[in-house]
Amino acid sequence: MPDQNPRGGSRGHRAIAPILLAASLLCLIVSTRSLEGVPESLGLTVFGFFQRGFAAVGGFFSDSVASIAELQRLRENYRELSAELERYTNMERGIADLREENKRLKEQLDLSQDISYQRIAARIIAKDPENLYSTITIDKGFGEGIRKNMAVIAFQDGMEGLVGRVVEVGQGTSKIVPIYDTRSFVASRLSGGSRTEGLVGGQGSPDDPLLMRFVKKRVKDEIQFGDLVVTTGFESVYPEEVAVGRVRKVRVLDYQTSIDIELDPVLDFSRLEYVFVVKAQTVPDSQPDATIPATVQGEGKQP
Amino acid sequence: MIRSVMLSTIFLVVCDFVQSTWLGGIAIFGVVPDISLVVLIWVSYKNGLVEGPAAGFLSGLVEDFLSASPLGFHAFVKTTVATLMALLHGSFFIDRLVLPILFGIAGTLAKAIAAFALHLVFGSVIHVYAILERTLWIEAAYNGLIAPIVFLALTPLSRFLVTERGRG
Repeated sequence: MPDQNPRGGSRGHRAIAPILLAASLLCLIVSTRSLEGVPESLGLTVFGFFQRGFAAVGGFFSDSVASIAELQRLRENYRELSAELERYTNMERGIADLREENKRLKEQLDLSQDISYQRIAARIIAKDPENLYSTITIDKGFGEGIRKNMAVIAFQDGMEGLVGRVVEVGQGTSKIVPIYDTRSFVASRLSGGSRTEGLVGGQGSPDDPLLMRFVKKRVKDEIQFGDLVVTTGFESVYPEEVAVGRVRKVRVLDYQTSIDIELDPVLDFSRLEYVFVVKAQTVPDSQPDATIPATVQGEGKQP
Repeated sequence: MIRSVMLSTIFLVVCDFVQSTWLGGIAIFGVVPDISLVVLIWVSYKNGLVEGPAAGFLSGLVEDFLSASPLGFHAFVKTTVATLMALLHGSFFIDRLVLPILFGIAGTLAKAIAAFALHLVFGSVIHVYAILERTLWIEAAYNGLIAPIVFLALTPLSRFLVTERGRG
């Protein structure tokens, strides 16, 4: 005999309304997609906090070990740098003349001087826990001004290269999908004479080459091994003229109207520690952004 | 039962954090071992059909927050692997070497098959292992190699991670 309450109906019947309400809400959420991205962002905020803790502990130990070796290396570097400093002191005299000449040439080329990318420096604290996805987690998030779809770049061996874009933002951490991920597509062009465009995509692993597709077949003779490929800046996501990779191999198939080019990424992703998140807007040099660390300001790229 | 599920989940989540932050240094061709999966295999095999899948689901959900995968991907994959391992509960005597290696390899392959099944339903948003590429096989071998060590290390933790029913 089912339980009866004063308003009539069994316990089972009383449960129907809440279930139906919950089902209706679920339908609404799914159909309107009103919560799209919210659970992921919330989860990243909570668990990113712990992930930062783990990264900090790991960083402490690895830094301690590394610092011993570093000390030895620094001693050698000191000797080398002392010698180099002397050489640079002599070179400095010529730099002022070169600056003046550079300014004059830029004026002649009528290039704009007042555009710069504003960058937020961040440290890589974690990677994807497994091998199927290629996430990179950084220690800066919404609080530091990072937003979804911002481009991420890095400097390595004196070269600026594209890392990827921000796909999820938590309060203190953000997730980046690198350019070698299979979901990453970057409108790019060969920086050499042909300036031919194509679409660069990843193959899922930093060890595999990037693949530049939809390159016009007629330019195949102009492409040379080692040619640099840079972003076009056509999409709103990636800034212009950021290095993506260098030509490794050209694939020409008779039945295709375009050619595929294999590229070596300009960045060695296994050695990346610090990255810069590029803020989307461009502002004059005279208005520095308060969210950017002082050391990063002034590093703006000037076309 | 709840205690075992909660402790197992916390342990698995800690493994996920370790994998994402510290294990990059021992990656082989960029492939890190899935310690969390090996622990889950052990927990599921020891406990049976309730605790393993529950811990797999909860820890998989946390992993989804740490990864760029769609929410629910790891939850599904880990629940599937845990269920399969739980179905074997009590079927074998686990030795020190051979069975842990086989479990580590089989669990990795089961994970790959579960991901492929999701890929068939949801399309390219779900990443899959390519059977001819090295990632899957390196990971399977890596998980197989670490499984005996992980299983051995987990034995003293039985009273926290395994229910009395499972231990009995």
